[in-house]
Amino acid sequence: MGFKNNIGVIVWIAVVAVAMVIMQFVVGDFPVDIFRFPVNILALVLWLTLLGVLYKQRTTSPLMRFMLSSRSLWLTFTLIAGVGIWLGLERKPSSDAWVVVASMLYILSHLIIITLRGWRNARGMRWRFTLLHLGLIFALGAGFWGAPDREQLRIAIDSKPNDQAYTMAGEPRILDYTLTLEDYDIRHDAKGMPEHYEAQIGIDNEHHTIRVNHPYARSWQEKIYLISFGRSTTGETYCILEIVREPWQWLSMAGILMLIAGAVMMFLGGPRIRR
Amino acid sequence: MIIGWNIFPVVAAIVVLLATTGAVVALRRKERSPLALGFMVTAIVVMLGFIAMLWMTLERPPLRTMGETRLWYSFFLLVAGAFTYARWRYRWIMSFSTILATVFILINILKPEIHDQGLMPALQSIWFVPHVSVYMFSYALLGCATLLAIVALATRRNDLNEAIERLLYGGIAFLSIGMLTGSLWAKEAWGAYWSWDAKEAWAAVTWGLYLLALHVVPTTAKGDNKAFYIVIILGFLALQMCWYGVNYLPSAAESVHTYNQ
Repeated sequence: MGFKNNIGVIVWIAVVAVAMVIMQFVVGDFPVDIFRFPVNILALVLWLTLLGVLYKQRTTSPLMRFMLSSRSLWLTFTLIAGVGIWLGLERKPSSDAWVVVASMLYILSHLIIITLRGWRNARGMRWRFTLLHLGLIFALGAGFWGAPDREQLRIAIDSKPNDQAYTMAGEPRILDYTLTLEDYDIRHDAKGMPEHYEAQIGIDNEHHTIRVNHPYARSWQEKIYLISFGRSTTGETYCILEIVREPWQWLSMAGILMLIAGAVMMFLGGPRIRR
Repeated sequence: MIIGWNIFPVVAAIVVLLATTGAVVALRRKERSPLALGFMVTAIVVMLGFIAMLWMTLERPPLRTMGETRLWYSFFLLVAGAFTYARWRYRWIMSFSTILATVFILINILKPEIHDQGLMPALQSIWFVPHVSVYMFSYALLGCATLLAIVALATRRNDLNEAIERLLYGGIAFLSIGMLTGSLWAKEAWGAYWSWDAKEAWAAVTWGLYLLALHVVPTTAKGDNKAFYIVIILGFLALQMCWYGVNYLPSAAESVHTYNQ
């Protein structure tokens, strides 16, 4: 595990890291929008096929031999810690930075290769192993490949119907429905701290009540969230809503539930103690 | 008579006395002690009875104020300690969970103002209690694993590995459940399972380091386990950053997880 034995790997990682930094400076963040549906599905199929082909050559391919080694394990966890620390120190972290995207792609590739091998070798704890690893692949993979299809909009509404929302970057978007603030319930405790936020909103001709932690699901891929209230210069109360369209959210949830089941099995089963 | 916080010091004294007796009996017996479990289960039932009566008095679930949520922490810590003892027979685990539960009980007695302190709307969620209490218990288990790892690293003892590994598995299982319930909650509150804000990024670092520890688990009793111990210690340092250290970073200004500012 010395420096000399790993010089080739270190050179490769350095080359990829430098390339990512150069791309960041030249074109800015990774162009996520290019990979909107159906491009992301095509890229996903190609990537999975490539991993499958490479996995079949696991005894002869140097790349596969590395990805199945303990060095790749250290690299994966170093990337998780490195990306986490970097984003954790940034005031406005961007998960679309080239180095983050490249790290996530490597982590996911490593996870898939390890899961393919582990399914054959995880004797006595196959279900636990599969739930934990496949769950993580689903949860991370849905976030990664589904990011281009995710849309997050904000809109301020008052008693007049409004269909003009804005992206988080401030670009306008016209909704295919109108939103109206019909009634609201704002309560504060004795110290003036917010205690209860509730808004009755009109979506075209429908009426719905939303609260913080209780969004309205407009469709299987879209939810409307109550974010906050404010008062305009004319004295009228308005509320800020967030509209999130995330078609891949159910795959993320499936992954999270699998991970929870795996974690429960991990607690109940404990480690395989070597004596 | 209205059952409320007014009788809590009496209930707390009974609960702490019963739980401490159970913990001491467990410490003194080599085998799993039904008597120790009996004391602990009685303490849990008394605590649960108080919570149920408080629920009826308030005519709402006692999940809204800081004091009420700390009541649940204490309750869950006792439950988790008893369950772990019943399952794996760690003699010391109920002492550990009793001490932690007592800390939260004392906070509730010494700081009565938090009984009426409201939770801000974002915290008023069904996920709040499981998310936080599960995290608290995982911190306790991982803290204990870290202490043992430091001892093992300093003394070059290998006989602690089994205990460290068992604590690590329990701690990481709870840590994972805490993080994952948090992501389900985040989806309901803010529309995203994960948004890489400062708290979440440090949670990922902590989780990654502990998962690495799981993957470099010692393979032999006599092997060189330095990397294993060092990763556990690094994991615990990252956990401190995630728990409260992050509040002192400039990036915390943009975090949606700072509720005390």
